Amino acid sequence: MQPQTRRGRAVRWGVPVAVVAVIGAAAGTGPVIAAVQGEPTLPERTAEQLLVEAAGTAKSGEMPPMSGTVVETASFGIPGLPQVTGESSSPLSLLSGSHEAKVWYGGDNRMRLALPGRMSETNLIVNGDQAWMYESEGNKATRIKLPADAAAQPQPPLPTAAVTPQEAAKQLLAMAAEHSTVSVTNNEQVAGRTVYQLVLAPKAAGSLVKEVRLALDGETYVPLRVQVYAKNAIEPAFEVGYSTVTFSPPAAENFTFTPPAGAKVEEITLGEAGPGKQEKEVKKEVAGMFDLVGKGWTTVAVVPFDLAKMTAGAERGEPAGAEQGERGGFDEPALAETVLKAAKQVNGSWGSGRLIETKLATALLTDDGRLLAGAVTPDVLFEAAGRK
Amino acid sequence: MSTVETRARPVVRTRRPVLVSFGRLLGSELGLTFRRPRNLAMLAVLGAVPVLIGVVLRIVTGDGAAGGPEAMLSMVAGNGLALTFASMFVLVPLLLPVTLAVVAGDSVAGEASLGTLRYLLTAPAGRTRLLAVKYANAVIFGFAVTSVVALTALVTGFLLFPAGPITLLSGSTVPLAEGLLRVLIMIGYVGVGMAALAAVALAFSTLTEVPIGAIAATVVLVVIAQVLGTIPQLSVLQPYLLTSWWGSFDGVLRDPVATGEMGEGLLAFGAYIVLFGSIAWARFGSRDVTS
Repeated sequence: MQPQTRRGRAVRWGVPVAVVAVIGAAAGTGPVIAAVQGEPTLPERTAEQLLVEAAGTAKSGEMPPMSGTVVETASFGIPGLPQVTGESSSPLSLLSGSHEAKVWYGGDNRMRLALPGRMSETNLIVNGDQAWMYESEGNKATRIKLPADAAAQPQPPLPTAAVTPQEAAKQLLAMAAEHSTVSVTNNEQVAGRTVYQLVLAPKAAGSLVKEVRLALDGETYVPLRVQVYAKNAIEPAFEVGYSTVTFSPPAAENFTFTPPAGAKVEEITLGEAGPGKQEKEVKKEVAGMFDLVGKGWTTVAVVPFDLAKMTAGAERGEPAGAEQGERGGFDEPALAETVLKAAKQVNGSWGSGRLIETKLATALLTDDGRLLAGAVTPDVLFEAAGRK
Repeated sequence: MSTVETRARPVVRTRRPVLVSFGRLLGSELGLTFRRPRNLAMLAVLGAVPVLIGVVLRIVTGDGAAGGPEAMLSMVAGNGLALTFASMFVLVPLLLPVTLAVVAGDSVAGEASLGTLRYLLTAPAGRTRLLAVKYANAVIFGFAVTSVVALTALVTGFLLFPAGPITLLSGSTVPLAEGLLRVLIMIGYVGVGMAALAAVALAFSTLTEVPIGAIAATVVLVVIAQVLGTIPQLSVLQPYLLTSWWGSFDGVLRDPVATGEMGEGLLAFGAYIVLFGSIAWARFGSRDVTS
C-alpha cells in the first residue's frame, strides 16, 4: 500500500467539495442563468398599451390553449393561524404556506384543475356546460350542473379556482386606476417565458402594500404571475403564478370524465340551491352591512361587529360556524379566538379596542362594536375610527 | 465466518479484464448478501407486510373512511393492484430505508470490524473498484427489496381482491396492463430513491469501523429528515431532503403521470448519489486501514 501523502489526501477530498459546489451552483443559480439569458427581447410598451392588451384578453375570455403548474405562496403573517399541510384543499389553508395546482386549459370552456396531495388528488373538470369534481379521497365524484345562463361563464365552485393568475389579474386591473404609480419592465422571466411586468406602487403613504407586480406573457398577454409585496419585506407576502407553462393544446382526455367504477356519485346544481346561491345571498347581505371609508389603497372597511356574540358562538359551537368549520377543515370560532388572543390592546382619542396586525392588512376591533379593516397602517385605522 | 474463504479466490488469480473481475467480485458480494440470514429475514419481513395489509383489509372491509392513507387502503378493496401502491406507501417512509441502511451501512464498516477489510485490499482490485462493488451490491439489494414488496403485494392483491382496470387518483381508469407498467415505473423510482440512501449509508460506513454506528447514523438521519419535513415553518428545506422525494412515487398514480415532479425527484437522488459517493470515495481512498 502506498503511503498517502497529505497532498494526495487533499486532492481526494477536493472531489466532494467540488461536487457540493457544482450541485449548489446548479440548484441555486439555475434561475439566475435563465434570467441572464432572457435579455430584453420584447418591444417596449407603455403601461396603458399593456393594460389594454391584458384587459382585452381577460374580457374576451379568448385565452390560448395552455397547460401548466400554478404555485401559490402566502406568508401574510397572520398571528395564531394554524399551519396546515399541503394536503388540505380548504380555502383557509391557502392563507399560509405554499400550494401547487396543475391547470389545463383547452379553449371553448374546457379546463381541468388538479390539486395533488400525498396519495390523493382533487380534480375539477369543466367541459362546456358540464362540470365534474372528483376527490380521490373517498372516491367521490360530484356532477355540477350549471344553470343555462351561467353556462357561458362557468363559475368554478372550488375556492382555489379564484386564485389562478387570470382571476387575480382581473381583480388587480380594477384597482389600477388613479391611486398608483405604474411602471413596466420587459425583461423578466416567469416559467421560462419572457414577460412584461407591470408594477403598481400605491401613492398613499398609509398603505401597507409596497407594490403589486403583474407579469404578462410577452406573446399572448396571458397573466403568468401576480406578486404582492408588503412594505419592509423582500419576499412577496402573496404570490400566485405559473412555475411551468406550455402554450399548446392539452390532450383531449384531460377534459373528459366518467365516474370510475365504485365511485360515489353526487349531483349539485349551482344557482338554485347549494353553495352558489348561499354565496350570492351572503354577498348581498355583506354589501348592505359595511361602509367604506377612504379611497384607493387606503380604503378601510367598517363593519358592525359584536365581539360578545362571536365569543358566545365559540362557546356554544354555533351550528353555522360548525358547518363552516367542517367545510374548511377548521373550527372557525376557535380560530377566531386564537387570532383575538394575539391582538394588541390599543386606545386613543377615538376610543379603545384591539388591534390585529399582519404584513398586508390591519384590523381594529373597537370596544363600541365596530370592526375596521384594510391594507393600511394602524394610524389610518385610528383616524377612520375617530371619524365615526 | 466464511467471508475470508470466499474472497480468497480472486486474490490468487492474475489480473483480468476490469469488467470480468468487477463482475466476479460483485457476484461473490451478492452471494454473501443474499445468503446472509439477517438480510433474508429482513426480506421476508418486508415481503410479509403487504400480505398482512391485504389479509387485514379482506377481513375488515372498510366502510369508506376519509383521509389520505385510509382512503388509499379502502381503494384496495376494489382492486388488487392498488395493494401494491398502498404497501409501498406504508413501507417507503421508514421500513424500506432501515433495511437499506443495514445492508449499505454494514458494507465497509462490517468488513473493518471483522478484520477482513485488509485482506480484501490485498487483492489487486483497488479501493475504488472495491467501493464500487460494495455500492452496486447495496443498490441491487435495494431494488430486490422493492421488487419483493411489489411482487408479494401483487400476488396477495390478486388472490384476495378482484383484478381489473385500475382507477387512478385523477379519477380516470386505465387497463390492467398499464397498471402493471405503472407498478414497474414505481419500482424503478423507489429503487433509485433507495440507491440514494445507500450512498449516504456507504459514506457513513467508510467513516467508522463499527457497522452498527453507520447503520444507526443513517436511520437517525432518515428520521430527522422526516421530522424536519413535517415542520411547516421549515418547508424551504423540503426540496433538499431525501425523504420528501421518496413519497413522490404517487406520481405514477396520476393522469398524466407526474413526470415533472418525479424527474425532479430523480435529479435530487442523483445529486445525493454523486455527493455521498464522492465523500465515500475520498474517505475510503485516503484512510489508513488498520483492521
